[in-house]
Amino acid sequence: MNPVAPRVLLPSAATKGEIFKVKSIINHQMETGLRHDAQGRVIPRKIIHKFVCRYGGAEVFSVDLHEAISANPFIEFYLRATESGRLEFIWEEDGGGVYRLEHQLAVA
Amino acid sequence: MGLTRRHVLTAGSIWSAALACAFFSSGRVRAQDEAVELVERLTGQTATVSDRLHLVMPAVFPTGYTVPIDLDIDSPMTEDDHVKRIRVFAPQNPLLEVASFNFVPQRSIARVSTRIRLAEPQYVVAVAEMSDGTLLMTKTFVDVATNGCI
Repeated sequence: MNPVAPRVLLPSAATKGEIFKVKSIINHQMETGLRHDAQGRVIPRKIIHKFVCRYGGAEVFSVDLHEAISANPFIEFYLRATESGRLEFIWEEDGGGVYRLEHQLAVA
Repeated sequence: MGLTRRHVLTAGSIWSAALACAFFSSGRVRAQDEAVELVERLTGQTATVSDRLHLVMPAVFPTGYTVPIDLDIDSPMTEDDHVKRIRVFAPQNPLLEVASFNFVPQRSIARVSTRIRLAEPQYVVAVAEMSDGTLLMTKTFVDVATNGCI
């Protein structure tokens, strides 16, 4: 099985007040919880159910994801550049998996 | 009073009038009403259909596994006037809740894109919860050729 691979794409510098785009994607082994195995048992659900973006320690955007989000969730969103600092991206998977990425943004 | 021919005919014509209404009322209006009702059932609140919501999806898409969805809501995103969250529903999916996007005034804007699964051709419904507590909604029809919910 491939390792879980989260990725983000966003600028490293922005001017104060500017709106910038963030592209995020996480590759993982998804199960919708709607499939059955050969014995007719439900294969347990395993989806990314939460995505959070923090900027300078404060939550600025988040998503609650349900079964109808495509496998390897891709989310594109927009933030306002308020100050130089660290952005954190956190994905939570069913079964307790948590995946994180960090990114430094310089605001002038 | 017995059951006369007149009674039978009157009852019959009321029936056919009702049927005709159901049959001839525009499918568009009916879908709109159904979407409003659905949102009411899910949120306990009446949503207003609004053109401030821009829900962009392909009218026809070959696969139900990864249907692109773009959402953009006209909002100043100030403390006093902002979008708190947008919920997306696919009413004909086995599980109709798709996602909920949560925004923060001054920090994020009410615009987001992702990819979703659709089990069959259907109206996709987007509901925006505004900072004053009102609900705004819109919907768009998407025709998918394959079931993406397996």
